[in-house]
Amino acid sequence: MTDNGAGSTKGVYEAVVRSNKEIGQRFYRLGLEFSGAGGETFAEARPGQFAQLDLSGAPLPSAGAIPEGLADAARRGIILRRPFSFCDVVRKDRKTQVEILYCVVGPASLRMKGLSGGDRVSVIGPLGRSFSVAEKKRYALLVAGGMGAGPLLYLAKVLTGESSKMEVVVFAGARTREVLPFRRPLDEISRQLGFSLGEFAEYGVKSQVATDDGTAGYEGLVTDCFSEWLGEKNLPARDTIVYACGPEAMLAQVADIARDKNIDCEVSMERRMACGIGLCQSCAVECKVEGSNESVYKLCCEDGPVFDSKEVILSS
Amino acid sequence: MDISVDFAGLKLANPVFTASGTSGYADELADFMDVNALGGFITKSITRKPRKGNPTPRIVETDSGMLNAIGWANIGLDRFVEEKLGILGNMSAAVFVNVAGASIGDYVSVVERLAGEEAIAGFELNVSCPNVEQGGISFGTDAGQVAEVTSAVKKVSGGKVLMVKLSPCVTDISVTARAAVEAGADALSLINTFTAMVIDIERREPVLANRTGGLSGPAIRPIAVYLVNKVYNEVAKKKGIPILGMGGIRTASDAIEFMIAGASAVGVGTWNFVEPDCAVKIVEGIKKYCADNKKKSVKELTGSLK
Repeated sequence: MTDNGAGSTKGVYEAVVRSNKEIGQRFYRLGLEFSGAGGETFAEARPGQFAQLDLSGAPLPSAGAIPEGLADAARRGIILRRPFSFCDVVRKDRKTQVEILYCVVGPASLRMKGLSGGDRVSVIGPLGRSFSVAEKKRYALLVAGGMGAGPLLYLAKVLTGESSKMEVVVFAGARTREVLPFRRPLDEISRQLGFSLGEFAEYGVKSQVATDDGTAGYEGLVTDCFSEWLGEKNLPARDTIVYACGPEAMLAQVADIARDKNIDCEVSMERRMACGIGLCQSCAVECKVEGSNESVYKLCCEDGPVFDSKEVILSS
Repeated sequence: MDISVDFAGLKLANPVFTASGTSGYADELADFMDVNALGGFITKSITRKPRKGNPTPRIVETDSGMLNAIGWANIGLDRFVEEKLGILGNMSAAVFVNVAGASIGDYVSVVERLAGEEAIAGFELNVSCPNVEQGGISFGTDAGQVAEVTSAVKKVSGGKVLMVKLSPCVTDISVTARAAVEAGADALSLINTFTAMVIDIERREPVLANRTGGLSGPAIRPIAVYLVNKVYNEVAKKKGIPILGMGGIRTASDAIEFMIAGASAVGVGTWNFVEPDCAVKIVEGIKKYCADNKKKSVKELTGSLK
């Protein structure tokens, strides 16, 4: 067994589906329950880590329930597991409940949508390096693009845990209000500007929303919203840390903003991966080599998915 | 049930290997299974110098399979010797080092350096990788070059088992198989992946950064079984050369098919990604099959196709 820096041992475990709720347009939250050794292991799962789910045996929705544009994808068979991070982890009654935020986009997530209470899923995890929970910092700024909100929800919970004096603010962006992956009724969201996102508010975390088309919150990119906010606040750089998860172009922007202000920044990367456990070498992330112009490939699954933003070469 | 096999003079506890490039340097797999339960282990490709590998995307899933274009990403010969030989030396499985290169000299220098290492039982020559510009498949699809690289390596292999991994991307695989055997190969492994392409129709570009990749997984298994049977009948049986059969093996039943077709041992590849302890389950499944079918030895399966 390997210590992945988070105190947990990875392995293959069976989870039981406890819930699978639609929370918005094509967005769902899957609740998985682990008991026994899996329960103990997943209780230690850290924000930013992920698990590999075998969805090949999950049922496809009936023809009528397949979302528009995914009819061809529904025809495709799948063999590989799919990586998902955790938006919440709760230990209760010697069992561990893991929540996964997902979007239905292709053949695997279509099957995931077909899972229902009592179904069993083979899960490998917890995998990868988590966000470092920098207890010495006073301010944590979370920047989420689209589905990137998932692991940041769990991070917000951990950062604001008992005895935390940290002030946490989240910036959540999406193209339009319909695709903001949050549970709060969208009607309510659209009516308010500068509203707070329910899931983050639960942890006492203030939120700022940005949509490209201005249908909710700030009109424009979440990175612009974040940059403007940061410019006004003048936070002490040494006491602040930025955590980001979202599309790579967004991560590149966030990394630049943080670098300009001399603020530490961690980014969660995404790559196509077959195994998630360092065997296939497919999830390469190009990283700088200190003191040289050379670069090396590190693995998103083992060296990441969370990287120091100064280390990775982000493509915008 | 004893399912030990003799493979080119090596006594293996069982006929199950993990295939090159799908089980790292063994330490990665050790988190999920007892690597000592394996009959054989094949490292990822080792080259003379470290290689970064190809840009991403390096893989794409297809129906019942996947394409990969990793590009021999590896730590290079020196670091391999320093960091990995120790772990491999502690394994009870027969360890094969998969050797790759852009020139015959590259192959020779890797084998020469490792020939005296006790940790290693043999070499698997990768003359069939479709994902690098030079070397690999450009050697493996030309019988003359297969012979040349095999005989050059044979001279420096220090008596260790020399296995040549064949490409299926040829008109007649028996021609390259024969060339390898006549040049001194002690064993053959087949098949490597098929060169393939997946296109993103929105961008009208290949999905893989390398444009093409090698197709592996259950999709290729029936072709691999056929090719193993062909090489067994046309080359290996007559010459007494064992075949390591591979291509899309997921289960013991899949593995047994390969053995009936003519393989003396089997390699599990892509399925390690999905079920990292599948090799152990396959070992158990083969035992059960032999017991159920009252086989005195697993060797009775090899080439038993009616």
